[in-house]
Amino acid sequence: MELVTLFIGAILINNFVLHYFLGICPFLGVSKKIDAALSMGLAVTFVMSLTAVVSWAINHLILIPYGLDYLQIVSFILVIASLVQLVEMFIRKTSPPLYQAMGIYLPLITTNCAIMGLALLTALKNYDFAEAVVFGVGSGLGFTLAIVLMAAIREQLEVADVPKPLQGAAIALIIAGIMALAFFGFSGMIK
Amino acid sequence: MNLSSRMVIVLTAVGLLSGGFLASVGILTKDRIALNKKMEIERAIVSVVPGSVASVTLYEEKDFIVYGGKNEAGDLQGFAIYTSGVGFQDKIVLMIGADASLSRLNALAVLDQKETPGLGAKIVDRTSFLVYWENKDFSQPFSLRKPPAPSPDSLTASEVNTITGATISSEAVLNIVNAAREKVKALREEGKLAPGGTHAE
Amino acid sequence: MPSRTASQDFLKGLWQENPIFRQMLGMCPTLAVSNAVINGVAMGLATAFVLIFSSFLISLIKKLIPNQVRIACYVVIIATFVTIADRFLAAFFPPISKSLGPFVPLIVVNCIILGRAEAFASKNSPGRSVIDALGMSAGFILALLILSSIREVLGSGTFLGYKIMGAWFEPWVIMVLPPGAFITLGILMAISLQLERKKREK
Repeated sequence: MELVTLFIGAILINNFVLHYFLGICPFLGVSKKIDAALSMGLAVTFVMSLTAVVSWAINHLILIPYGLDYLQIVSFILVIASLVQLVEMFIRKTSPPLYQAMGIYLPLITTNCAIMGLALLTALKNYDFAEAVVFGVGSGLGFTLAIVLMAAIREQLEVADVPKPLQGAAIALIIAGIMALAFFGFSGMIK
Repeated sequence: MNLSSRMVIVLTAVGLLSGGFLASVGILTKDRIALNKKMEIERAIVSVVPGSVASVTLYEEKDFIVYGGKNEAGDLQGFAIYTSGVGFQDKIVLMIGADASLSRLNALAVLDQKETPGLGAKIVDRTSFLVYWENKDFSQPFSLRKPPAPSPDSLTASEVNTITGATISSEAVLNIVNAAREKVKALREEGKLAPGGTHAE
Repeated sequence: MPSRTASQDFLKGLWQENPIFRQMLGMCPTLAVSNAVINGVAMGLATAFVLIFSSFLISLIKKLIPNQVRIACYVVIIATFVTIADRFLAAFFPPISKSLGPFVPLIVVNCIILGRAEAFASKNSPGRSVIDALGMSAGFILALLILSSIREVLGSGTFLGYKIMGAWFEPWVIMVLPPGAFITLGILMAISLQLERKKREK
């Protein structure tokens, strides 16, 4: 089934971080502890799924029919900023413990290129509604997978003896490279 | 004026100015961008249906379009099929050129691919891959020759070469062409390839 | 705020406050488009266009914008210039537009631009803001040039599309693929941090 292929592809083969290079800032910044990474990943997945739906709707119901596709960039970014704001307010009101766990990451998500990248790629690949939803959820889960794996590795690194110049971003990038290499092995899984 | 109304006025002004600016840029570039897209397709059609000088859309659905290439006399010179399928990592988009009787495949053009550079990406290269797809028999499904034959002459009219080290990309192209072949034959039998165009429901 | 001369404002973008190597902003597009020098340079120029014009405009109207809506206004202004850059490339340079893909529109979330707007343009004169933007852009392009040169020469044996490595050279394909991008940037970052440390120890 094509949607299943799309879903698995989005998580493993065309992983947002390791293949499309989207979401690098949070990937490097929030990946020091597994639970922080998990919260960030789930928050991103949630916003991504919503964004996929809303940006698809705006693109196909308003922008394209009226020939306004040059407004894509402006509308998408405004939609994302508003969505993130709404999600943050909603979570704060309905579930304070959940807000404690992941609320702080939400404002960061607005400039997370992964979200904007999702809106743009969905538009670029001309997905229909079902495909857009599957792509959004799958990509979010792929991001979560990458960031949690990175956090797991970095937690181990805490007790390793990393040379001074490599500490911090440099070693994280090299690890990301090795992870990307490993994930490359998933290519060709789907025929 | 108080803060709230000032906020609203500034936001509205910025929004309107931006919108106006973008609208003018949009209108200025819109035609050029559409032209670029059209020219890319036209170039591909002419390259796979030699002798054609104009094209007409005969059948169109999402991700599958059949163009008719018209020669100088205005007759149908051949068909150009725009189709795509899954490659190694992402979609491969092809333009398949066949003659007017759908019995010969003229050539392939690769319009978009994201295969591995140096390996799968060789599918865009004529000497490594596309030359083996020239002037083949379109009346039967194609198959891959593995290991690859030394020259195009040592292949049968229905065989094409694989690229060493890029079996998956080669197979992907094969599957796309075979699927398109079946589809366009079925469409022709159903009479859907008449000039004037048919759109899928 | 320490007062700087105009030339210091420009030069800091090249090394001390290099957006990629020091501030670690704008890494997503850097990794993605650095597989060929032409792509890196095109992206750098497009980003420079957006950065310079947005910084200028934001600095010009900074007194008119109420504090609470400033981010929204900045984002709209930036998005406008990004759309202009994107449409211009699609209309006049279609093959480059195709290779850069969604990364030109993604300039709108490139932290460099919003970062400079917040940190500098909103607090300085238009003239200075343009100089700062020029410096940051130069630093960004420099970083892109270094990374994409390494990746293209080692990964395809070419530079700007021209073959410069002889037939003896078997390209390291991995350099033009994601793993190569990550690892090369990681090594470059380590080198730049080490150079900075050595400098401080003097």
